[in-house]
Amino acid sequence: MALRTRGRNSGRTSGRAVTRTPRDTAHEGFLAHAGYRWLKVAVALSVLAVAVYVLTDPTPRPNGGTFAGYLLGTIGAVLIVWLSCLGLRKRIITAGPYSLKAWTSAHVWLGLSLIVIGTLHTGFQLGWNVHSLAYVLMMIVIISGLYGIVVYARLPAQMSANRGEATQPQMLEALRALDRQLDMAAQPLGKDETDLVRLSLEQCDVGGSLWERLRGAYPGCGNGRARDAVQGLVNAQMRVGKPDPRLTQILFLLERKDAALAQARRHTAMKTRLDIWLYVHVPVTFALLAALVAHVLSVFIYW
Amino acid sequence: MSFVIRQIAKRADGGDIIRTRSIDVPEITVGRGTDCDIQLPDLGVMLRHARLSLLAGGLVAVEATGGIPLEIGGKFLNRAELDVAGNPVIDIASHRLTLSRGEVAGSIAITAERVVADAGEAASETGVFSLRGVMPGKRGLAWAMVGVVLLAFLALPLWVFWHDAPEAPLTAAVKRGWQPDMVWTSGPLSTAHAGLANNCGACHQTAFVSVTDSACVACHTPDAVPNHAAADRMAKGRLISTGFEANVHKGLNLPEGRCASCHKEHEGPQGALMVAERFCTDCHTGLSSRLLDTGIADVKNWATHPQFKATVVKAASVTAPRFERVLMTRPPVEQSGLVYPHDVHLSATNSVANMVRKQGLASKDGALACNYCHVADSDGVRFRPIEMEKNCGACHDLAFARDGGVVRTLPHGKPEQVAGIIRDFYAVRRGGVELAGDGRRAPGVRAVPLRAASGEAALAGIFGEKGVCSDCHAVVDSGAGRGALRYGIAPVTLADHYLPKGDFVHKRHETYGKLTGDAACVACHKGVTTSKLASDVLLPKVEQCRDCHGSAKVATNVPATCDTCHGFHYGEGVPGRPAGDGRRHGRVVAGAGRGAAGVSAQVGR
Repeated sequence: MALRTRGRNSGRTSGRAVTRTPRDTAHEGFLAHAGYRWLKVAVALSVLAVAVYVLTDPTPRPNGGTFAGYLLGTIGAVLIVWLSCLGLRKRIITAGPYSLKAWTSAHVWLGLSLIVIGTLHTGFQLGWNVHSLAYVLMMIVIISGLYGIVVYARLPAQMSANRGEATQPQMLEALRALDRQLDMAAQPLGKDETDLVRLSLEQCDVGGSLWERLRGAYPGCGNGRARDAVQGLVNAQMRVGKPDPRLTQILFLLERKDAALAQARRHTAMKTRLDIWLYVHVPVTFALLAALVAHVLSVFIYW
Repeated sequence: MSFVIRQIAKRADGGDIIRTRSIDVPEITVGRGTDCDIQLPDLGVMLRHARLSLLAGGLVAVEATGGIPLEIGGKFLNRAELDVAGNPVIDIASHRLTLSRGEVAGSIAITAERVVADAGEAASETGVFSLRGVMPGKRGLAWAMVGVVLLAFLALPLWVFWHDAPEAPLTAAVKRGWQPDMVWTSGPLSTAHAGLANNCGACHQTAFVSVTDSACVACHTPDAVPNHAAADRMAKGRLISTGFEANVHKGLNLPEGRCASCHKEHEGPQGALMVAERFCTDCHTGLSSRLLDTGIADVKNWATHPQFKATVVKAASVTAPRFERVLMTRPPVEQSGLVYPHDVHLSATNSVANMVRKQGLASKDGALACNYCHVADSDGVRFRPIEMEKNCGACHDLAFARDGGVVRTLPHGKPEQVAGIIRDFYAVRRGGVELAGDGRRAPGVRAVPLRAASGEAALAGIFGEKGVCSDCHAVVDSGAGRGALRYGIAPVTLADHYLPKGDFVHKRHETYGKLTGDAACVACHKGVTTSKLASDVLLPKVEQCRDCHGSAKVATNVPATCDTCHGFHYGEGVPGRPAGDGRRHGRVVAGAGRGAAGVSAQVGR
């Protein structure tokens, strides 16, 4: 504020026309953009929708085919088409009133208002048909988007905490280095022992399947199995004497790899949760657009 | 006799490092062990994996020494003799040994290189941290979903629509199963149309054209669903929409005044029969300004529904009774020709009550019950016509003599017969005859004077001023003529339906608030217990209906739409009543023609 005042004053006293308003450095998220402008618009739109729904005669029952139904349906369809244009818009980054941030803010809030508009458009009349399909797809898109907002708000901080200073390539490089050391350390060993090391080298998928990524659990991980088995061997040797130093070295490497894997996999799990919603949000949006076309066309064909 | 070994290793930048050395021995070993001639640093390779020996004639003997068979030319073998001329290949774990003739005559060149990449090296950043490897691409998913939706929910139904010839609507349902275009349904059909659920084309005949009446009248013939009014009057009476609304209707191809304008389908079991009130009020608000000669009052809504007009008898007649619709803002008066004081008949303390008790007639708190005379008809909508013998005869009996154990009774409504019977009776029994039976007679009225000197005198007693007929009828003694011809009995016409343009189902109104039985009757039909004249028309006014219907005052507020009382397809002129077949009431009253405004004439003399 002080900066801004000084800027204005200096502009006046110096007589120069050009004084830059200092950039507001405080971060304002896209949800709160312009003092929650789009939240207000969305709430107003929802209240309007409820008013239209309540104040019109829906005999014999509320549905999409009444005056209110067509009005809400039109608003909803226009909104859906506009909302799906975010994919186009985000590839063109501009500033100012039509900034991507403003657009995203509107996308989120207006998208949420669709819950009210779309639901009232149905008149709570759902069935096994193309119309309800469009509604269900719309709700899936909205709910997945809601999930996206939640994970975008929470996960990045957790990811930073987990990663420390390491980058993704560094995490992988650490694993590769451990693999090379394991490979070298196992060279002098016999088949049984090398087979265990090979479990860690060959049967260890860092990322794993989608299910493993979502659960964050890798029960069949080769490295874990190898570590347990080598630990067993070392324990057995310790009971009768001094364990083979080559084996203890390998056990040490396997344990280090375990820790590195856990970090990389925590990262992967969070990255998966951060990415997965778009695999629902985007394709279902397209399915929704197709269902919307079928919904509108079918209504007018069987008019 | 030597082996030339060329070991190829990959450099970090992708190039090859080739190390060549020559070993002048007849036999070399291959394995992971550092003591092997060809050392393969692969954990899949045994410490001592294989042995290669030179044989004569360019042959090399290969033997697996680590207990694991060697993969030679696609086969797994423990031992083989290979001809070097054929450049044989031996695969050991991730490495491949290729044998060939060396540059020096008699020498064997062995090229060893790693052919399978290190497993650990394969993990790429995108493979591990992004979902690209484990999920189908977003683009692919999107296209697939779009394809499925468009195919199943647009293309298939469209195909059916274009290729499906409309079938006879009523028989088609039996033959057809599920149809792809059923996914276009916007909701379940009404019960009556449920059979058409898989036959969309029966109603939706042309694309982008709203369902036309021609589809409806294929089943609902105009005879079965008569017009509300003549088409030209309907067209004139309708409030024609203008401006935006008209443009919307025109633009969306939604002509007004169709069957489907009122009857909305796909709204559930009762949907098609539930018609919005505004479909009535659209026309009936300001109807008089569009249809100048209409006799129907304007109705904006239930709250401003005009006062009822009762159809009352203005001139009783045997053949041509005259009815008139009378606005009920003031108590209407009718001329039924009958003498009947309700108050006397509903008293709990007078001689009527006494007769009721003695004869065990239907009663309520000692007084004659309403339903003793007003007996509900079979469907409980209105009441059976009043009949003298059934409803009055218990007290007002026409017995005139006990004739050897037989009570002789005069016929009602046939004065000529009465005159004849009396004359004959006296002709035969001239002189003394016993007084009839048990002496029952109308309360307070003397018995028929059978001890009269002659038949004429007896007739004068029956028809005369104080006679039994005058209990209920106006009798005029002309003083001339004989027998019945001397006396004129005023004709009686009882209205059967006072409000024929509306339906009032009495059965549904047997309770009124907490009142039941007769108390419920008189709650609406006020003044019955004090009415002294048959000319009183004790109908409730419209305000009475509003006590419950559409009232916010009562907890059991019952909504009232137009069709709570009125029908639409009841034919011209009588919107409250079905034409001809009586479907709505289930009763056809004899002699109740449409021309008589739904009122039956019950005539007596």
